[in-house]
Amino acid sequence: MGNNNYEMSAEERYFFDLSGYLVVRNALTAEEVAECNGAIDHFAELVSTRSVDNQSLSGGSSALKGAQGRKELTGMLGWPAPYREPFRRLLIHPVVVSRLNEMSGKGFRLDHGPLLIGAEAGSEGHQLHGAGEPFGPSVWYHQQNGRMYCRGVTVAWQLADVNEGDGGFCIVSGSHKTREPTPAGVRTVEDHMNLVVQPVMKAGDVLFFAESATHGTLPWKGAHERRSVLYKYASRAAARATGRHFAPESRWGDWVRDLSPEQRAVLYGPGVHTGDDFPRLVSDGRKTSIA
Amino acid sequence: MDTRERYFWDLTGYVVVRNVLNPDQIAAANEAIDLHRDRIRIADDNLGARDSHALRGTGRPTMHDLLQLERPYCEPFRRMLVHPAVVLRLNVMCGTGFRLDHGPLLISGVKGTEGLTMHGAGEPHRPHVAYNHQNGQSYCGGVTVSWQLADVNPGDGGFVCVPGSHKTGYSMPSGVRTCDDDMGTVVQPAMRAGDVLFFMDGAQTHGTRPWQSERPRRSVLYKYASRSSVRGGPARELAPPEIYWGEDLVDGMTPEQRAVMFGPCSNHGGEVPFLAVDDNGVVRIER
Repeated sequence: MGNNNYEMSAEERYFFDLSGYLVVRNALTAEEVAECNGAIDHFAELVSTRSVDNQSLSGGSSALKGAQGRKELTGMLGWPAPYREPFRRLLIHPVVVSRLNEMSGKGFRLDHGPLLIGAEAGSEGHQLHGAGEPFGPSVWYHQQNGRMYCRGVTVAWQLADVNEGDGGFCIVSGSHKTREPTPAGVRTVEDHMNLVVQPVMKAGDVLFFAESATHGTLPWKGAHERRSVLYKYASRAAARATGRHFAPESRWGDWVRDLSPEQRAVLYGPGVHTGDDFPRLVSDGRKTSIA
Repeated sequence: MDTRERYFWDLTGYVVVRNVLNPDQIAAANEAIDLHRDRIRIADDNLGARDSHALRGTGRPTMHDLLQLERPYCEPFRRMLVHPAVVLRLNVMCGTGFRLDHGPLLISGVKGTEGLTMHGAGEPHRPHVAYNHQNGQSYCGGVTVSWQLADVNPGDGGFVCVPGSHKTGYSMPSGVRTCDDDMGTVVQPAMRAGDVLFFMDGAQTHGTRPWQSERPRRSVLYKYASRSSVRGGPARELAPPEIYWGEDLVDGMTPEQRAVMFGPCSNHGGEVPFLAVDDNGVVRIER
């Protein structure tokens, strides 16, 4: 799938609308892959490894458990030159711009990332998440009159091969359109109903997936290290990350300081990654209070 | 929000809740406006009517910054911001964690004040303000709450909408947009001072008819959005990459790279550059 040209083909539109993901092959040359890997190697000491004891992503699933957590690295866009350059090129690579202009619409934006996800053999998986039901407006997928509108698309650049059975990214094809809740066994992959697909990819391929599709990670079984760099894009007026100007004072000015907590609660900035302490209002029709 | 209201909201794209403010609360809000009437700005004639014949008239009077008025005059508007009747319904309409995107804005009018061409619709789909209903749950990305501080009788003009237009899959005909040939689809809800109107701002086709009453129009509009939707207001000022992400992160980026680093907002007035890919695979700013 994909021909690595600079427009999204009719076949690609069909596949993405049908399945919720798309792999474009050979988007990077071997030299470009090597440049990215070299920059990551240069900052190898910054790579962290999640603890399976208190940072596990497997959700307690027997099918997703592993001996160690995944590796993570962020901050590539702000690295000193020349190490940041390959990642800044990926940010607006023509293969990305041409597809995101159609998937998310012109004016699409980087919401958060990029994030390197690495793994060694035996690393745990990540419980599947996302779905068409319940409705998730921040990453809503909609198709109308021949146009697709996907508010959240993640672009995952492959810097190492992902062979059949290696594990890594997996997805329930078509799940961005489902109107039924995801069975628990599919989320945990313990009873996956043969619905969970692990796309085979080569270093230099680039994966697009709708964040509203049910997706996650299978334990890594490859003998080589997994290396995937994820850029989280959103449509122009969608926000998942809360950004640097989330607090009411930061957006509206100091005059908000003498508002009541309930009044301040509706003046926070946009974004769904709010943390658990975010004040949400409730009302019984007579009184407004913070939940 | 009871089942009758939910039905009406889902069906039409708007709902009027009656008698939310008592006469004292209405008087306090009107007094605050009266004492600050020097802040009312009148727009040029026919900025809103544009190419419409039916909507022509004199410029629209508006007033901003009602939440920032000195005490006690800000208080009526701060109470409206999180009024129980609003919170109760926006939790259903937009979902919990809804927020004020911009406003409040006083829209006034004297006899002969122009209208505003109809805007918003189900087609083309605009994801940040669109409406969805699924498995018993409704969702709307953008809802405007309009408090009435003066009566709006049948034929007075003011807010009008096309009920059901948030679900249309067809483009709005030009005659509906201008109200010059509205096909009988445009409705002007009658309201009393103290009533509060909720409408799907952007998903539903709505606008303003010229004001016909001798009594001035007084509506105060609060523009809310769901947790993940962004329209305008402060978001536009915070959108430039060096503000949204910080100078350090975007330092040295090309104009094309900066283009995808703008923060979220919809009403950016063309300040956010769009990208295109030419036939040679070069990413350029779209002209």
